[in-house]
Parts: sequence; structure tokens; C-alpha cells
Amino acid sequence: MVTEARLDILGILVLSGLTNGSVYALVGLSLALTYGASRVINFAQGEFVMLGALATVLFVTTVALPMLVSIPLVLVICAMVGLMLERFAYRPLVARNAPPLTVMIGTLACASIMVGAALLVWGPNQYFVPNAFSLDGITVAGITSTPQQLAIIASFAILMLLIWLLLYRTTFGLAIRAVGIDPEVSKLMGIRAERVVSFAFVFSAVIGGLAGILVGPLLGGHVSMGVVLTIKGFMAVILGGMGSPFAAAAGGLAIGLLEATVAFYGNSLYAEPIIFGLILLTLIVRPAGLLGEWEAMRR
Amino acid sequence: MTATLMRNWLPAIVILALGLALPFLVAGNYQLRLATLVWIYAVLGMGFNMLFGFAGQLSLGQQAFFAIGAYAFALAQIHLGLSLPLAALTGLAVCALVSILVGLPVLRMRTHYLAMATLMFAMVVHDVALRWTDVTGGTSGLRVPPPHLFGDRLERIEVYYLIMALATVVFLLQVFVKSTHLGRALEAVKTDESAAMSLGVNVTYYKLGVFVLAASVAGVAGMAYAMVSRGVDPSYSGIGMVINLLTLAVIGGLGTRIGPFFGAALVILLPQFLAGLQEYQTLLYGVALLLFMIFLPGGLAGLIERPAMKAPEQDTPSERPGRLGSEAR
Repeated sequence: MVTEARLDILGILVLSGLTNGSVYALVGLSLALTYGASRVINFAQGEFVMLGALATVLFVTTVALPMLVSIPLVLVICAMVGLMLERFAYRPLVARNAPPLTVMIGTLACASIMVGAALLVWGPNQYFVPNAFSLDGITVAGITSTPQQLAIIASFAILMLLIWLLLYRTTFGLAIRAVGIDPEVSKLMGIRAERVVSFAFVFSAVIGGLAGILVGPLLGGHVSMGVVLTIKGFMAVILGGMGSPFAAAAGGLAIGLLEATVAFYGNSLYAEPIIFGLILLTLIVRPAGLLGEWEAMRR
Repeated sequence: MTATLMRNWLPAIVILALGLALPFLVAGNYQLRLATLVWIYAVLGMGFNMLFGFAGQLSLGQQAFFAIGAYAFALAQIHLGLSLPLAALTGLAVCALVSILVGLPVLRMRTHYLAMATLMFAMVVHDVALRWTDVTGGTSGLRVPPPHLFGDRLERIEVYYLIMALATVVFLLQVFVKSTHLGRALEAVKTDESAAMSLGVNVTYYKLGVFVLAASVAGVAGMAYAMVSRGVDPSYSGIGMVINLLTLAVIGGLGTRIGPFFGAALVILLPQFLAGLQEYQTLLYGVALLLFMIFLPGGLAGLIERPAMKAPEQDTPSERPGRLGSEAR
């Protein structure tokens, strides 16, 4: 009886950890993808999750479009904003020989612009984000969950598979990896490195938007929800390692699980400091991340 | 030589003279308060300027020390009943101590990692300030008693001059750091850590030193802010603060001496002129930040100061031996 109850709790913990972890993992892997192509941490990455969630509110609740029409529209908007970020912030800064840190401050400015613009459109209210999947509880093998929760985990798994296929089974994926290793040499080999960078920004924006559609109903939509997700995504990247999107994704899942466990067994007040401490410790022991490469030591 | 001296010091002297005269030029307490806030933001900006502009260490956690200083200052007065100078010293000590404890592990990281780790630290501080209600007062924060010095209650104008004096001291400190061997060591650390190390610069020592210095300066700014606002709340360590700080640092001009003054004046005063545009503030700051980074990377001060003081990324002519002499003396 007691054991059964504990198994229940464990199941719920793992499930909620995986749900949040999937979102962190999605942000983390898009950060790693952009970083791989451009050597820049895109500080506005979490804002695309915000945009995804709030744009869903706009199309489904305000304009009353069906969900199936809204989702592509939301993703198109995220892709366009991602492209604008690359055109109007990343490119001009790189064209003026700004070092990566300066470009990162530039993306922080973009995050501020996105939040400021969203504030004008949606105001400072917390929104209920319409759910694509049912939020009613279903019980599988004694563990209660919702289709929305399962959809998040499933979409994450499918996306991972797609990204793996893209990176390792297509010529374009080979180009992305080549640019990640050395942009100059890959240019000499005839790869259009700028296109790879554009693609990375747009693709990451779309992943962010998708994460927003999926996690919006669980977190609620708010203009300032993005920063926390950027940080969590970056924590995932640190924990896993900058080198590959998959290491970053693993880091994201680990942080989700850790968060759920610490919040349940410890005090939710101290969950954040404890995780922060653990990540600092990880960085001290392994400066390149748990699954990382030598990236962190490189200047 | 004299021309160089003029160019280096004249803007600062003009700013200080203006600052001295300002209380007689402004109308009313509200404007005096704004003028005081400009000096406070300038102090905060100078701390960041030393850390990132001079030493190239990007910390996005300065607002944490701003808040820690303010909270320690408030708590020392409320619970320990300390006088203003003693409370300020307590706040300074707490900031220095925390920055050593945080800096030692965090400064092992570089660039993006350092930026994110310091931002994480700031978010933890923000969370603790928000949730540790018994000590920090939660969302509503703490009230700071009216400033008294040697038994007398300070007038607003006295507070203004006190804070302006603080800003002047920090400015002189900044000039001292920039124009002595300290500045060149930090410049070396910024340009290439390995090369600096091989030239005999103790990189860890200088990085920690400038980190603690910047944290203490941010703490001073936080205490001054708490004194003027008569309170402290979690927004001190919020994300808005770091956006303000970056905006003022970049618009003013990174690595320059007087940039933080321009940046602070703009960040405080612009929203006042655009009073109807209050809700556009986040958007406008972002746009201004981006435009300045693209089109005027030297900031406003870059238009006035010598190119040697320009943005940190560029190869500064001060590295040329010919320029170095006039720079140092």
C-alpha cells in the first residue's frame, strides 16, 4: 500500500519533471542550434515561447479561429520575427565586427523590444492560453496525466528525431554541422554560411513558438514569461554542454526532473538556489558541461 | 599634453560644475529627486563600466549587488539600529563578502557562461528577496528610515550633495583604475587572458578584484537608491534593472570615463520627457540599445572623449607605445 503510493508520487514527479524539462530542453536545444551556427547566445529565445503562447491567445480566443488554422499562423509569425531578429540585429552587428558578447547584448535588446511590443499588444495581464489537447485527467497505469502534458513530451521526442534526421541524414544538416565547426572553411567549401545562420535563427524561433503553444495552457500566457525560460534553457545548455543540441536537450530534461524532485522533497522556496548551486558545482567540476566538449574553454 | 589633459578632464569638470549648480536650477522636490537618481544610476553604471568596459567581464548580475547593498543597509538600520554611516559600511561589507563568495567560482567561467551564471545568481537573489518574507518583507519590501547624519536629519538638498560626492569619489576611483597599471592589467585580461598570464598578470586576482570593486560600487548605488526612495523592494534585483543598466552603459559609451553620466541622464530623464509614452519604455529602451550598438558603438561619450577611450571591442590606440605615455601621465 505504502509502496504503491510512493510509486504514484514518483510517477507524477517524473511526469511533471519531464513536461517542464521538455520545454527547457526545447529552449536549450534551440539555443545550442543558434550558437552552433553563429557563436551567439540568442537572449531572445525564451521570448519566442512567450510569443507562441500569446499569439495562440490572439488567434484562438480573440479572433476565434480554429486551433488547426491558428497553429500554422503562430508558427509563421514566430518564423518572421526570428528572421527579423537575424536581419536587423544579428547581421548589422556582425557586419560591424562586433564580438559575440556584444551581439548577445544586441539579442538582449531584441528581447526587450519583443517584450515591449507584446506589452503594447497584450498588456500586463495573465492570459489563459487555449489548449490544443484536452486538459482532462486520464489515468494510465495508475498515474494521472493530461493529454496536453503527454503531447508536450511526445512533440519533444518527435522534434528530437526530426532534428537528428535533419542534422545527420541530409546534406543541409552536414552544412549546418560544418558551419558549426568552422564558418570560414565551410565558406571556402562552397557552403552558404549566412543561409545556415538564417535558418538556425528561424528554425529556433519556430521551435520556441511551438513550445509556447504547447506549454502555454499549463503556464499561462504573460509578457514577462520569456526571460525565465531563456535562463532555464541556458542552464540546460550549461548542464548538458554547448557542443550539441542533444546534449542541451538532455540537460533540459535533467533540470526539469531535478526541479520537480527538489520542489517536492525540499522546500519550493529553495528549489531555485539549490539547482543554481548544483549547476555552479557542475561548471566548476566540468567547465564544458556534463556531456560537453571543449567549447567552454575556447575563447 | 595640455590639450590631452583638457580633453580628458574638461567634460568631467563641466559635468561636476553642472551637478553643483543643479539644485539651484531645478524647480521643486521632484526634479531634485530625478537629479539625485541620475547620480545614483551613474554610480551603478560606473561599476559595470569598470567590470565590462575596462576588464571585459560581462556580468548581468550587478543588480543583485544593488539589491543586496540596499537590503543590508535597510536591515542594519531597522534591526541593529545602526546609524547611517555604520549601516552603509555594513552594506558595503556584505556586498564585498558576497561578491567574493560568488566571484571565486563564477569567474572561472568566461564570456557567455559568466554572463548567464551571474544572471542566474541575480535571479536567485530576486527569488529570495521575493519569498523570504520574514526578513525581506516580500513583495512590499522594507521601509528605510529617513536619513540622519550626526544627529541631524538630512534635507533633500543635503542628500543630493552627499550622493553627488559619492558619485565623484567613484568617478575618481574609476579614473585611477583606468590610468594606472591596474587599468593596463585589466586591459590585458580583457584582450587575452592567456597572454596576460604569460606577461605576469595575475589574472584571477585582477578579475576577482574588479568583480568585488564593481559589486561594492553597485551596492553603494543600491544603498543610495534605498535612502532616496526610503525603501527597498525586490524590483531592485529585477530584470528591468539590468536592461536599464545595459542601456545606460551602451548609450553612454562602454569603457569611457564620462559615459555613465550621459547614459544615466538619458535613462532617467528621457522617460520624463516622454511621460505619455510610459508604456513604450521597454520597447524604446530596446530599440535605443540596438540602434546605439549598431550605429554608435562608442556611445555618446565616444563623440567627445579621445578614441583611446573607445568601446572595449576595438583595438585601442593606447596599445600603441607612442600614445601610452600621454595617456598615463
